[in-house]
Amino acid sequence: MNNPSAATATNVSKIYGHGDSEVRALDNVSVQFETGKFTAIMGPSGSGKSTLMHCMAGLDEMTQGSVTIADIDIASLKDKDLTKLRRDKIGFVFQSFNLVPTLTADENIRLPLLLGNNKGNEEWIQKVINTVHLQDRLTHRPSELSGGQQQRVAVARALSSEPAIVFADEPTGNLDSTTGNEILSFMRKAVDELGQTIVMVTHDPVSASYADRIVFLKDGKIAGELLNPTPELVLDYMKNLGH
Amino acid sequence: MFRIALKGILGRKARLVLTSLAVILGTSFLSGTAVFSATLNRTFDNLFSDVFRNVDSYVRSTQVIEADFGAEERQRIPVELVDMVKQVPGVADVQADIQAFARIIGKDGQPLGSEGAGPPTFGGVGQEFKGALWTISEGRFAAGPTEVVLDESSAKAGKFALNDKVKVVAQAGSREFTLVGIAGSGDVRSPGGATFALFDLATAQEFLAKPGFIDDILVSGDGTLSDKELAQAISAAIPSSYKTETLTGAEITKETQDQIGTALSFFSILLSTFSYIALGVGSFVIYNVFSISAAQRQREHALLRAIGASKKQVTRALMIESVVVGLFGSTIGLFAGIGLSKALSALLKAASIDLPSGGLVVPSSAIINTIVVGLIVTVASAWLPARRAGRVPPLAAMRETAIEVVALSRRRTLFGLLLIALGAATIIAVTSGASNKWLGLGILFVFSGTITLGPVIARPVALLLGKPAEKLRGVTGTMARQNSARNPKRTSRTAAPVLIGVALVTAVAALAASISTQIDGVFTQQFKGDYAISTNARGFGGLSPSLADDINTLPEVERATGIGLLTVKIDGKGQYLTTINPATVDGVFDIGLTSGTYADLTAETIFVSQKYAENNKAKLGDTLQVTLADAQVKTLTIAGIYEFDDIAGKYTVSRDLIKDSTVINFDLGVYIKLKSGVSDQSARTVLQAAVDKYGQGTLLSKREYIDKQSGSINQLLGLIYGLLFLSVIIAVVGIIITLLLSVFERQREIGLLRAVGMTKSQVRTTVRWESVITSLLGAVVGIVLGVGLGWVIVYALRDQGLSSFSVPVGPTVSILVMAFVIGVLAAVYPAWRATRVNLLAAITTS
Repeated sequence: MNNPSAATATNVSKIYGHGDSEVRALDNVSVQFETGKFTAIMGPSGSGKSTLMHCMAGLDEMTQGSVTIADIDIASLKDKDLTKLRRDKIGFVFQSFNLVPTLTADENIRLPLLLGNNKGNEEWIQKVINTVHLQDRLTHRPSELSGGQQQRVAVARALSSEPAIVFADEPTGNLDSTTGNEILSFMRKAVDELGQTIVMVTHDPVSASYADRIVFLKDGKIAGELLNPTPELVLDYMKNLGH
Repeated sequence: MFRIALKGILGRKARLVLTSLAVILGTSFLSGTAVFSATLNRTFDNLFSDVFRNVDSYVRSTQVIEADFGAEERQRIPVELVDMVKQVPGVADVQADIQAFARIIGKDGQPLGSEGAGPPTFGGVGQEFKGALWTISEGRFAAGPTEVVLDESSAKAGKFALNDKVKVVAQAGSREFTLVGIAGSGDVRSPGGATFALFDLATAQEFLAKPGFIDDILVSGDGTLSDKELAQAISAAIPSSYKTETLTGAEITKETQDQIGTALSFFSILLSTFSYIALGVGSFVIYNVFSISAAQRQREHALLRAIGASKKQVTRALMIESVVVGLFGSTIGLFAGIGLSKALSALLKAASIDLPSGGLVVPSSAIINTIVVGLIVTVASAWLPARRAGRVPPLAAMRETAIEVVALSRRRTLFGLLLIALGAATIIAVTSGASNKWLGLGILFVFSGTITLGPVIARPVALLLGKPAEKLRGVTGTMARQNSARNPKRTSRTAAPVLIGVALVTAVAALAASISTQIDGVFTQQFKGDYAISTNARGFGGLSPSLADDINTLPEVERATGIGLLTVKIDGKGQYLTTINPATVDGVFDIGLTSGTYADLTAETIFVSQKYAENNKAKLGDTLQVTLADAQVKTLTIAGIYEFDDIAGKYTVSRDLIKDSTVINFDLGVYIKLKSGVSDQSARTVLQAAVDKYGQGTLLSKREYIDKQSGSINQLLGLIYGLLFLSVIIAVVGIIITLLLSVFERQREIGLLRAVGMTKSQVRTTVRWESVITSLLGAVVGIVLGVGLGWVIVYALRDQGLSSFSVPVGPTVSILVMAFVIGVLAAVYPAWRATRVNLLAAITTS
């Protein structure tokens, strides 16, 4: 059975503080991320886009609501099981400091598998490595790689365990536009050619235009959606949202 | 800048605590041992002021032999002097005093007090006397040859009640007495844990010493004369032919206190030596903590430099910080040390060494010393890191993360190798004939060289030691291995305290193993019998000479011989003579006679060792003048020369030499050869019966005896291990602090790992293995250095008769196991901290 939704958030709220000082970072958000699709989450700073990603990825606790990843309700999981879920079912790409400096590129790519004492699917891993063009960099340590190469290792790491979903938090935020576009193309290829599911948080319309669908967030609420976006469409949509 | 420095300290209280911890530990050992020594000194001073509280004069012989190790043997005085002193105007009361060996045998047949290791067991005179040490608390003083009085502690320990039969062993053998009284002394039940058996004067002379002789006379004046006048009056009344002197109460008190002070000062020096070693080890930890914390604040310092602070100002800010840490740490260390000395006193009490409670003595010198030394060590340790901090380029403020400079200079490698080469050359020079005194310098060179090379060897050795962790633990092991190698300077500085501690322990163990092997070899060569009776009484008491004679009459025994020790004066110097029984020694205990026969050894002759003969160009027929402890001078003719001098020493005489003197002689061992065909079972039964009759000594088979002799070194070893344990504690704290700071520094990395699926237990595993690898690094290098150091020490002692070197295999294995355990224990708290890293804060970019 193949669930059309890799991750689902239902009525998720994240509230900081009490009473007058109460801040609703997420206010009753419900959203689904389809399997095999590339989704971008956009919104201005403080809109709650990163918080949504953190809550859905099991990195942060939500105040109310429920999240399922690969049909597992994560709210009921203890720390240990949540950690295993992140390891086996979720891939991560962060903006910076993605790699363990003491491990080689190859070890970094296989990190989730190694942590799970899991050999993984070697054929798949080779395919991933080929997709991001890292064949001749595998024995290098992060300090010997360029910023772009480091992010490619991070993307490969996120995909190596054939996760149900990959969360990427501003993956190109620290890169120049050429290198950034290269990373985005790899992510696109991962969805198109490898059938992966990717959710990316970004504030850049050009980056977002690589996605199949964009979810807009404002003041902790879903503010709208856009299918098959182009940079122009994204900019127009954001203007209409009052940007 | 001062304000910035102060803010820097108070801003991070946790860092202040961590940095101070090493200072606190180091200085607390310093102040603890100083306070303990001072308290112990005062306690004994008070004790002896009490002992002679009401003694106004003290009469004793002027004839004394002083031997090695501060041992002293004073001649006895005739008992008729007591009446002579009593007649002197101004004397109110006198007591004849005897201080001799006597051991009380408990109802279970075991002697009270531990044989050898424990406090001494005394026999003496107990009577009504104004200046007496003893006051009767139950019953009365002994009167007549069958009565005895015991001190309160011994009576209690032996569960003796009045009218019980008490067996006591002394010079004259073993006898049974009736307990007629129990005596106490001042506010202690038994001073210093010693046991006392008190008799009437006649019994004491005959049973403990020799009839007609006593040790000294205690005099109490009637108040008409000053102490000084009284002493002069007594002195004038005793004919000079008796060779006596009369001291005032104050003088004998002072003399006794000084003697105890000298004995205690050895102990104090030992304690403070090891507390300084611990502080030296601690200085590595302080240096390490300052280095790491300076590196972690690199951006902060770069920012200060960027906005206009000079190099000097940045350095000075850190130096001010170190002064604050030094003062803070030493002050806490001072108080912690006072607590520590209390704990030591409590430990002594638990070991049933009951000292009068005089309260703690905190000498001002200890206070000043602790604070000043603590401050100097801290500031000196912070000097290099502070200078390095000043040299940070302002541009570093813009860099991503603070990284400690890890570049290893070739200069360091060369310098380290040079030091080791110099050390090796010095040691080789010594082995090929240069003076032993250069050895210390050679060792120092090798140690400094190794510490200098530390950062260079840390990476390869850590990677090697980490291999098993990687095999065992997969990627967590890989990360632990890489983490321990990623900053070789830090790792080597963390391992250095472990290295020093382990090197010292290993060297001591190697020395002990060599001595044990040597003793084993010597006894195996010389002891030809089947059984031995040993006693641990060192220099005070021993086995009655009649024990060996008794055993010789047993039908199962082919031959038994006793060997003892005698203190005499030769050429004005105190010397030890070995006493044997020439009639029985042959074939049981071999001293390797190369000329002469045992029959030649009489009361008029002496045997000397071959080495002595060579060194002094002595030959058979030469004579030696020997002054016995009772001032008799004997002219002895050399009648034999022997080869085995490890046990017998330079001189061996017949026990007949002292037959007609007041000198008391005990056997220190009895060696027994069985008739052939006698079973072990029956031999043991009859021999044990003979031993039980005297209530003294332990019956051992040949093997047991040799093992006991070669194991005797272990007692000393235990003490030294205990003291080195102080350094181990500091090394552990050093690992804990470094790990904590490393965990703090790697928060983002840990957060990332947690995010991509590392479980908490895997985080702990990583930290734990890193700690184990670091600890093992120090242990392995320390063992290599320690074995080398041990070899060098054994070599230096070759003239003292230590001829073979043994590698301490057992201790080495235990050290490695210990290092592993230490690594695991040190990681507990830092590993727990690592699991508490805030995941979100670590991965979101600020």
